[in-house]
Amino acid sequence: MAGAADPTLHTAALAALETALNRALDLAPESKNELAQLKDCVFALHCTAPSFEIYLHPGEQGIRLAGVHAGPITTSVRGEASDFTELATSKDPTATLINGGLELEGDSAPLIELQQILATVNMDWEAPLVATLGDVPGHQLAQMLRNAFAWGRQASVSLSRQLDEFIHEEARLSPPRLEVEDFYRDVHELGLRVDRLQSRTERLRQRLQTFRG
Amino acid sequence: MSEKDTTHFGYKQVDKDAKAGLVGEVFHSVAARYDVMNDLMSGGIHRIWKRFTIELSGVRQNNAVLDIAGGTGDLAARFAELVGPEGRVVLADINDSMLQVGRDKLLDQGRQRNIEFVQADAQYLPFPDDSFDCITIAFGLRNVTDINLALRSMLRVLKPGGRLLVLEFSKPGNPLLSRAYDTYSFRVLPLMGRLIANDSDSYQYLAESIRKHPDQNTLLGMMEDAGFCQCEFHNMTGGIVALHRGIKA
Repeated sequence: MAGAADPTLHTAALAALETALNRALDLAPESKNELAQLKDCVFALHCTAPSFEIYLHPGEQGIRLAGVHAGPITTSVRGEASDFTELATSKDPTATLINGGLELEGDSAPLIELQQILATVNMDWEAPLVATLGDVPGHQLAQMLRNAFAWGRQASVSLSRQLDEFIHEEARLSPPRLEVEDFYRDVHELGLRVDRLQSRTERLRQRLQTFRG
Repeated sequence: MSEKDTTHFGYKQVDKDAKAGLVGEVFHSVAARYDVMNDLMSGGIHRIWKRFTIELSGVRQNNAVLDIAGGTGDLAARFAELVGPEGRVVLADINDSMLQVGRDKLLDQGRQRNIEFVQADAQYLPFPDDSFDCITIAFGLRNVTDINLALRSMLRVLKPGGRLLVLEFSKPGNPLLSRAYDTYSFRVLPLMGRLIANDSDSYQYLAESIRKHPDQNTLLGMMEDAGFCQCEFHNMTGGIVALHRGIKA
């Protein structure tokens, strides 16, 4: 009996992803040590659209990805690719797991821990740069890169805030979030009142019919 | 020479007793450049096929694993990590040149704690009954003189519930892919062998031995006849390679 679809591409993609993740973890020893604490856990990600499965095995050497796993699973999560992306980038994974479209089976605490470790990987470029370029140029280049990344992060936050202010306050292209929420609350309240009015008029109509009859 | 006493060696019919020696000569010749040639000939895809084999093996901590025709130890190295310090991996090969290359490579990588190296014939495995949780044979079964005898020998040394995984070249399902694969096998491979390893005959044998190897369903039937249950196979890269799995009841 032939098995499922040709696994070559899926296996190749997992191999590439695993290599990239482990290279990143090699540059972030703190995250790698944290990951080692989850070494007895197996996480199953069942993606329904597009359809594929990934099993994550964290360990002392980094993280191992597999397309097939026979054995106990610590946490199993099922959902669409967009739901997994939302969880991976979420600042509050607990809220995303509760409110998002993911179905969860098993222990959620190790999964949240894994998400937080992977989301906060802080790579130290200095070690490979020093090994390649030597102590002084390696350190200086690493310092420049650190400053550039820090400036980039700051600039991105500042730009996003200023753009937000321009759209909402200066150009009035879109109402501010609080105003929109207030408006939606009013609409909701209006909807409820209309429903109440409708049932009241219905009751009056029935009473009139009773008098006439 | 009667039909019963002969077997194939590529497209040639040879005496059954002579095949092991002829195959041995091929592998003595290619052992030194085996890894380089594997990467070149498959474009590195053999690593993906082996990776899927490891995934499907279900090998875990403390397992005992036998890697037959283990060659340069690609699978054994990975299994040694998976079984941990309390587990056991045996890298077996009939060919001492291949075994030596594999042993040197793994020892150079610092892997010696849970790996043993055994020169053994797959048809007459020198291990007690019910010894292993998993047996793998990657790109080796087609070189065995009597495949049925080898399968029965593997069944004997597997523990009940243990898995046999056979990774081997097979028959592509698509006729166009099959034609392209034939051209590649019979024109490009011997040329690569001549240019890189200075040995076109061994790579001509490689292409011929693949064509003489049983196809997916025939091998599945042979595994069932040998006594394996829950037999299945996974085609990879359009059926150029197939991974068969059987369980010992």
